[in-house]
Amino acid sequence: MENLCIEQTKSTPTIQFDVANNKLRIAGQSYPENAFKFYEPIFNWLDQYMAEIDRETVLEIYFHMPYINTSSSKCIMMLLEKMENAYQEGRKVAIQWYYNREDESALECAEEFKEDLLLPFTIVVLDDE
Amino acid sequence: MKKSTNDQDFMYDGSTMKVVSFACIIIVLAVIFTGSISYFITRNAVVDKLKSRDLIYIIESAAAKIDGRIARAQETSLLLARDPVVNDWVLSGEQNEQLGKYAKYKLTDMVNSHDYVNSFIVSAVTGNYWDEEGRILQRVSPQNDMDSWFYETLKSNKAVSLNIDYNSGRDNTYVFLNALIGDLKHPLGIAGIGLSLADIAKEFTAYKFGESSALWLVDSKGKIHLADRVEQNGKYLNDFLPAAVAKQIITDTNSQQTQTQILEYVNAAGETVDLAYKATQSTDWKVVFQINRSESIAILKTIKINTAIASLIAVLMITLVFYLVSRRIADPFKRALLLTRKMEQQVKERTSELAESNKEIMDSIEYARLLQKSILPNSEELKDILGDYFLLWRPRDIVGGDFFWVKRVSKEKSLVAIVDCTGHGVPGAFMTMAVNTALKHIVEQNHTDPARILSELNLQMKQILHRNRQDSFGDDGLDIAICAIEGHSLLNFAGAKLSLYVRRGQEIHTIAGDHKSIGYKASPEALTFTTHSWDIEAGDQFYLITDGYLDQNGGEKNYSFGKKRFIAEILARKEEISRQGGQFESVLQNYMADEPQRDDITLLGFSIR
Repeated sequence: MENLCIEQTKSTPTIQFDVANNKLRIAGQSYPENAFKFYEPIFNWLDQYMAEIDRETVLEIYFHMPYINTSSSKCIMMLLEKMENAYQEGRKVAIQWYYNREDESALECAEEFKEDLLLPFTIVVLDDE
Repeated sequence: MKKSTNDQDFMYDGSTMKVVSFACIIIVLAVIFTGSISYFITRNAVVDKLKSRDLIYIIESAAAKIDGRIARAQETSLLLARDPVVNDWVLSGEQNEQLGKYAKYKLTDMVNSHDYVNSFIVSAVTGNYWDEEGRILQRVSPQNDMDSWFYETLKSNKAVSLNIDYNSGRDNTYVFLNALIGDLKHPLGIAGIGLSLADIAKEFTAYKFGESSALWLVDSKGKIHLADRVEQNGKYLNDFLPAAVAKQIITDTNSQQTQTQILEYVNAAGETVDLAYKATQSTDWKVVFQINRSESIAILKTIKINTAIASLIAVLMITLVFYLVSRRIADPFKRALLLTRKMEQQVKERTSELAESNKEIMDSIEYARLLQKSILPNSEELKDILGDYFLLWRPRDIVGGDFFWVKRVSKEKSLVAIVDCTGHGVPGAFMTMAVNTALKHIVEQNHTDPARILSELNLQMKQILHRNRQDSFGDDGLDIAICAIEGHSLLNFAGAKLSLYVRRGQEIHTIAGDHKSIGYKASPEALTFTTHSWDIEAGDQFYLITDGYLDQNGGEKNYSFGKKRFIAEILARKEEISRQGGQFESVLQNYMADEPQRDDITLLGFSIR
C-alpha cells in the first residue's frame, strides 16, 4: 500500500497518509468547487487501507482545518463516519483535532463533529506563536 | 503588435550590423597600422641602403673609372717617354731615320691600337711637336703663350703631369698626360697622350638610374666637364643645384680624397634629393651624383599599392566572414524570436477564444442572476412583512446558493426564511430554485409551523435530489432558518443548522436551530425540528444569518469572522435597523480586506413594528 500524499492548494488541505507509521494527517482550509471530487480518492484510499491493515493497528488521525465549507464538511463527516464505523468494529482509532486558540469557529466546528462520534476525539488548542 | 514586430526586426538587424561594423573598423585600423609600420620600416631600410651603399657604389665606381682611365693613360705616357729609342731619337735631334721610324710608329700605334685621341712627342732640343700621325704639327716657342704649358712642364721636375684642356670649339675636354723624356732635372722633351672625356661620357650614361638622376664630373670651379646628359656639359653646378649645396661641394677640399660625401637637400620643387660626391684621386675634379628620393624609393610605391590591395582584400574577406558568422550566430536568436512571436500569437488567439467563451458563460450567468432575482421577494414585500429591515445579500459569484424568502400567509401571519444551499454559483442557484418551489408547495399545503415546514422540506428535497442518485457521491442539501411572525407579538423560529439572533436592549439571545441538515442523503426522512417561540417586545431586533458572513476569513491571523465578533457587532449598532446593512457590510469588508469572499453571504435584520 502506498502512502497518500496530496499537496496543499489555496482551497484544499494537504493530505498525508503515512502507511508505515499509521498516521493520517489532514491540514489546511477546504472549500473546493467540487468537494466530492476532491475527497472521493481519499475515501477510496481509506477504505482500502482499513481493509488491509491489521486489526490491532493503532491508527492516529490528525486534523487541523481552520475553514471547512458546507460541502467539504459533509465529506469530512463521511470520513469521520468511516472511522467511527471502524472504531465500532473494534479498531483502535484516535482523532486529534487541532485549532488555534482565537479561532472560535474552528472550535465550534470541531465540537459539532465530535458531538456525533463515540471514538476518542481530542480537541487540542494551539497557542499562536 | 505589428509595430513591435518591426521594432524587434530593427533591433535584431541593428545590433548585428553594429557588431560587424565595429569588427571591420578594428580590422581596418589594424591593417592600416601594421601596413604603415612595415611601409615606414621598409622605406627607412631602402633610404638607408641608398645612402650607405648604393650612392657610394655609384660614385666610387664612376670615380674609379675616371681614375683608372687616367692612371692607365699615365702609365702609357710614361712608357712612351722612357722608351730608350725615343730618348735616343730625341737626343739625336730627330735626325736618326732608323730611330725616328720607330718613334713615329710608336706615336701612331698609341692612337690606333689604344683608345687615345692623340699622342705626341715635343722635343726640347728642336722644339718640334710630333703628332700621332708622325708629322711635325708645329714648332713650340717660348714666345707663344699657347706653348707655355710645355715650358712649365719641363721645369716641373715631375715624371708625369696632367693637363686639362677644354676645347670649346669641339665642345670637348681633353686630358693630356705629359711625361718628361730623359733626366727629370734636364728633360729632353715631353712625350704624352691625350684622351677625350667624351669617351668616358659613354660610360657615364651607364649610370643613368632614373629620370631625375644626374652624374657629373666637375672641376674645382664647379664647371661640369662631363655629364650623363651631353647638353649639360660646360655648364656649372650652380645651374642645377641650390647655391649652398654647390658651394659646399666645390669648396670641400679638405675632405679625405677617398671618402664619399653624402648629403640631401630639398629642391625648388619641394622634392628630397640625395646627393653624393667624391674627389677623384688623379685630379682635383669631383664626381657628383644625385637622384630624387622619390625615384630611388619608387619600388616602395609598388609595395605600397600591393599592401593597400592586400589590405583591402583582407578587409573585404574578413567582413564577409564576420557577416556570415554573425548571421549564423544571430540565426538561432532570430528563430527564437520568431518562435516566441508565434507562441504569443497562439496565446493571444487562445486568450481571445477563452475570453469569448468566458463572455458567453458570463452572459449566461448574468441572465441566470436575473432569473434568480426574480424568485427573490422585492423590497415592498419585505417591508410589508418585516417592517423595518435591512438585507445583505452577496452571492460569492454572480449567482449563489443563498436566498431569502417571505410569504404572507394571512393578514396576521407571515413567514420569513433565509436558506443556504450547498454549493454556490450556478449549482447553488439551481438548488435555490428547487427549494423556492418546494417552500411554496409546502405553504400551499397549509403548513405554517416552522418545525413542520422544515420536516416537509427535508422530505421533498430528498425526493427531488436523490431519486436516482443512490450510488453517486453527490450529496446536496441545505441549511435554513425560518420564522413565522404572528401579528406583532409572537415569533416562532425553527432552524436547520442556522440560528436566530435576537437583540433586546444590550442583550443578545441566540436561538440555535437544530443541528440537522435538510435534504442530504444522510438526513433521515423522518427528520423532526424544534419550534422556538419568542414573545416580541417593542424594540426587539432579529437577525438571520447564513455561515458565509461568519466563516469569512480575514483579520490579522486570517481566522473566520466568527459568532462572537458578530454578536459584538450587533451590540455595537446604535442606528435603527433599516440603516444597519451598510454598517455590517463595511465591517465585513474591513475584516476581509484583500481576502476573497469564501461563500455566499446573507444577513437579514428586521424589527417587527
